[in-house]
Amino acid sequence: MPVTEPGIEVTRLWKKFHRGPAHDSLRDLIPALARRLVGRAPAATSLGAGDFWALRDVTFSVRPGEALGIIGPNGAGKSTLLKLLTRILRPSAGRCVVRGRIGALIEIAAGFHPDLTGRENVFLQGAIMGMRRAEIVGRFDEIVEFSGIADFIDTPVKRYSSGMNARLGFSIAAHLRPEVLLIDEVLAVGDLAFQAKAFRRIHEMAGLGVPVVVVSHQLDRIATLCTHAILLERGRVVRHGTPAECIAAYVQGTEAGAPAPGVSGIRLTGLTPASDRPVASGERVGLTLRGTVPVREESLGETIGIRVRALHTGQVVYATGTGDWGISLPEAGAFALVVELQMNLPEGLYAVETYAWDPLRHLETARGPSRTVQVKGGRPFWGSVQLNSRLRLEAPAPDALASRA
Amino acid sequence: MSQPVPAPAVDAAETPAAAEPPGPSTLREVARDLWDYRELLYQLTLRDIRIRYKQAIMGFAWAVFMPMFVIGAGVLVRYAMAQFAGRTLAADAVAGIAVKALPWAFFVGAIGFATTSLVGNANLVSKVYFPREVLPLSAVLAQAFDSAIGTLALLVLLSLLGVDLGLTALWAPLLAGMLLAFTAGAALFLGAANLFFRDVKYIVQVLLTFGIFVTPVFFEPAMFGPSGAQLMMLNPLAPILEGLRLAVVAGHDLLAPLQAVGRGGLEVVAWSPWYLLYAGAWALLGLFGSAALFHRLEFVFAEYV
Repeated sequence: MPVTEPGIEVTRLWKKFHRGPAHDSLRDLIPALARRLVGRAPAATSLGAGDFWALRDVTFSVRPGEALGIIGPNGAGKSTLLKLLTRILRPSAGRCVVRGRIGALIEIAAGFHPDLTGRENVFLQGAIMGMRRAEIVGRFDEIVEFSGIADFIDTPVKRYSSGMNARLGFSIAAHLRPEVLLIDEVLAVGDLAFQAKAFRRIHEMAGLGVPVVVVSHQLDRIATLCTHAILLERGRVVRHGTPAECIAAYVQGTEAGAPAPGVSGIRLTGLTPASDRPVASGERVGLTLRGTVPVREESLGETIGIRVRALHTGQVVYATGTGDWGISLPEAGAFALVVELQMNLPEGLYAVETYAWDPLRHLETARGPSRTVQVKGGRPFWGSVQLNSRLRLEAPAPDALASRA
Repeated sequence: MSQPVPAPAVDAAETPAAAEPPGPSTLREVARDLWDYRELLYQLTLRDIRIRYKQAIMGFAWAVFMPMFVIGAGVLVRYAMAQFAGRTLAADAVAGIAVKALPWAFFVGAIGFATTSLVGNANLVSKVYFPREVLPLSAVLAQAFDSAIGTLALLVLLSLLGVDLGLTALWAPLLAGMLLAFTAGAALFLGAANLFFRDVKYIVQVLLTFGIFVTPVFFEPAMFGPSGAQLMMLNPLAPILEGLRLAVVAGHDLLAPLQAVGRGGLEVVAWSPWYLLYAGAWALLGLFGSAALFHRLEFVFAEYV
């Protein structure tokens, strides 16, 4: 790979942060300096009191044409990683090299001043993002048109709605011509129509062949936009692979680890799908859920629930349970529940979640394992449910023709 | 392609392999960064100027009124002093105060805005990359714009007071440059200091309020006698302000020393060419020193802001 090619190279990257209050006034400084004279300042590579590693030993690279998705729970270090890539922060150890002009779709309206007009803010924010004057002037009309707020461009930004603010900010960022593209949680700006437009635009920018890094909690966006992904947990890369693999690991990890509300004693130990491959829309998937009911004095009469959650919205699109099927669990001992689901759903990522349910108290008593299912392909359709439609063209009956004539 | 990375059992037991030495912190790097981001420096300066005059009753007149207040206060003080000594206040003395009040107002305004420029833009500092020098520097430049308007008003005032600008007035641009450099250096230093220690801005406020008593704006150092005058001229701003007064109002060539008659008829050194060198050294070393320090520290700004 030639040195001049744009790209991102992160090698054994560590970043240390200080937890709790630092001395932030001169009054605190003098005792701190005195302590430092007596003791010794902690080295960059070791942890002092109250320090913690925000990123530990992170390694990855992104080449042109690749898009890396970074997922993980809050506080995993995703934003820290992006700040290291944009040079806002410096590594405590390791290397973080970004070659090429960075375009960062991060905090896209951070530089807006409320008293300035939209027009004035376009120039200000453009400059903050590193655009030259000629570039801003040349793309000004495009930016305003894309934002869809041309009528308000000479109105002070303080009179904008938050949606208008975000739209203008995104439009400026969308007209950068970066050699490296970094995106952090800007996939959800404005109303639905603008979100779709913004996502198409990001797709276009990513499609130009520049290296892309995306941080988002919208997992389906990661799945469609990225060529590979990393899953961060407590500053560490716990998984590095395809977006689907990482998303699956993320969803399983968070769901399985969630504490069960209430104590039932029922344990759901394993959920095995028939296969890991993506399923076509309308196809059937089989899963087996294993669990045990403990020996106990009185049965709570719990049922086992299965629900399907769309990962892009986080909403449960389907739920059923043993109660609905008249299946009663054994009084005690191990059981295996075979579930067959027909994935009549549009393309996307779904999680099949399992849980124990107390029908009397109406609450979840145990959380079981979950599995990610990717629905891909099948007959194309638009909408939220696959209705297995059949369309055919028929020649009209001869008598019908005759009666109309 | 997928490979789950094995997580070590004990996190605390491991440490990173090797720390990368901090990057080079040369002034050339600062200059290149600033050149790359000159558009941002311009836009931020424009922003500061615009928001100062938007929705303000006084508008651009503010740029003239602020130094006017300083001049008025100075004239009042000197008038009282003259009355006490049984003399009248000469037009030259008023002109001298006017010439020194404008740069003083510039310094006070610029330092006031620059000290809070980094903390006041915390959202930018913590979220967007750009050379952070542009924030305090744009505060200084916005104030310089104000002072440029004030200078026009000052020229009118000087002609009303009957001051003829001679060739020696050509020293003024050099002295203004020194003032700008010194102010920029102080702005960088104080802006960064206030980011780490939030009480710096209070200290700066106090220093700026009382600074007028130890800076020769309303008075001349010669009034303090031989040793007092020299002590007064140790203030880096003093040679710049006195130089402006002597060159613009008194028509004195700054390359020549000047003796004045001070208290009790004593001879006092009112000006020495060495003062020029002294102030210039403060301005340049202060600017370069602050810029180097600022550049070394700016990579941790986002963690502290």
